[in-house]
Amino acid sequence: MTKDFNIDDISNLASIHLEEKEKLKLQKDLEIVLEHVDALKNIDVKDEKIDIHPLSKVLELREDESTPSLSHEDAMKNSPETKDGHFVVPPSIE
Amino acid sequence: MSLKPTIGMETHVELDTESKMFCSCKVVETDEPNISLCPTCLGLPGALPVPNKKAIEYIVMLSLGANCSITKEGMFHRKNYFYPDLPKNYQISQFDFPVGVEGSLEIVIEDSLHTVAIERVHMEEDTGKSIHLGSGRIDSATSTLLDFNRSGVPLVEVVTKPIISSAKMAVAYIEELRQLVIDLGISKGKLEKGNLRFDANISVAEEGSDELGVKVEIKNMNSLKSLEKAIDYEILRQTKMVQDKESIIQETRHWDENKQVTLSMRTKEGSADYRYFSDPDLPNMVINEEFIEISQNQIKETPEKKRKTLLDTGLSLSDSNYLDKGQRWLYELYLSTVKETFDCKSTFNFLTGELQGQMRKAEISELPQWVNSEKLAGLINLFENNEVSFTSAKDILAKLLIEDIDPKSFASDNNLIQSSDNDEIKTLVTSVINENQDIVERLENPEDKLVGFLVGQVMKSSESKVNPGSVKEVLLKELFG
Repeated sequence: MTKDFNIDDISNLASIHLEEKEKLKLQKDLEIVLEHVDALKNIDVKDEKIDIHPLSKVLELREDESTPSLSHEDAMKNSPETKDGHFVVPPSIE
Repeated sequence: MSLKPTIGMETHVELDTESKMFCSCKVVETDEPNISLCPTCLGLPGALPVPNKKAIEYIVMLSLGANCSITKEGMFHRKNYFYPDLPKNYQISQFDFPVGVEGSLEIVIEDSLHTVAIERVHMEEDTGKSIHLGSGRIDSATSTLLDFNRSGVPLVEVVTKPIISSAKMAVAYIEELRQLVIDLGISKGKLEKGNLRFDANISVAEEGSDELGVKVEIKNMNSLKSLEKAIDYEILRQTKMVQDKESIIQETRHWDENKQVTLSMRTKEGSADYRYFSDPDLPNMVINEEFIEISQNQIKETPEKKRKTLLDTGLSLSDSNYLDKGQRWLYELYLSTVKETFDCKSTFNFLTGELQGQMRKAEISELPQWVNSEKLAGLINLFENNEVSFTSAKDILAKLLIEDIDPKSFASDNNLIQSSDNDEIKTLVTSVINENQDIVERLENPEDKLVGFLVGQVMKSSESKVNPGSVKEVLLKELFG
């Protein structure tokens, strides 16, 4: 573990289970990413305009009009379990 | 050691739009689950979000109404977390560039004005709803049912700076914000329907210290009453911990309405845990001057403006605030009635006391169309000028609520007009004195309780058609000179 991050925290936040072997590999990969970011941090950008999005296109907005949705049956189709029109999932309390 | 509490409020406002925030599914208010869904609001892979223009107009209106500056070039971020009511595993929200920043709201606590600084107003989308099955207790559920009708409904989050100092102030702030969204016409503002949902960040620190204590977030307060109670409870809990030299941990706590306590839910995530990053599906959002102007022009009324109009009629700040936060028709009725009575206090008292009281009693929520300010002003003037007694005024009002009458003609047709004619009163007084000589002899001074009895006798013999004030005056003059 480096001081900068804890691979267990990260896998926990991402809800991904990692084996010890995978943890070691990812630890190394992420360290390389962080080193790269550190290198970027050293670039002097104080005279640069903030470019907040990679695309130069401006967001298009749509009018507030509703259109027909999926039928209830279609919307539920992929669900392994349903009850009274609801999706059923395992208990979700932290 | 004296401790002071500091509170910051985070309020979610559900906008009243026809369609959802990032898809064209209809916003529905129904118990029938999962009927307004599409690939976008179900978070299916490959679905692309397209923002609702009306929702952006509404958030600009709210930001302007809360005196914020508008971020002209903004963007959307993904806030990542895993919870079943959020099918994409991220919520589209805003992080660095919220639509509104650095605003303020003027609020009223009893009879004084205060200012609450607003840090940010940002756009996001609502989540679905979960129903936890099992024993009824959320932490021992056996499974969870999901309804995604609400998923993707436009939601605005309004965040204050940590400067609220009491539960009362937090309540006054929410009342003001709620009225603002109602007056702007951008949300139904119904707390019981979840149109407005609030969390409170509370900490305590030593009085005079510049640093804030450890922040605890309180959730699950569904009414203004529970907000006030939860804040008061949490301030006490933290104060006691600090005094007992226990350390407070940064966490989220849940207000338990049954037990009337706050209970620990989870250790609070820091914003880094949400791994915010710009949403690659949504390019930069430019809000130009023209767009701001269009939004500005849609603002017809704010609670602050209404309050000023009411204050200008002569009402006190707390009475103005009462009408400001009440129903729209009552506010309008007061303004048109006071123009004819020129008496702000009695108009306010009559409309908020007698009129509303009788409407409640008669179980009517809307005034019959013939009850207008002209008739009510006529009635208020009748008793203010002592032409009818207050009891008669109440009777006339009761009649007016069920039948189209003219208060003044009704009063004269039914002999309700009080006489202030001193000769007539004098005749009545003389006969009452003659008939009650035994009592008159027992009278010691003008303050004697028996004077009241004699006034009552005169009123009775006149069938309440004389003014009691004038009767007492004449009676005392006759008895004591």
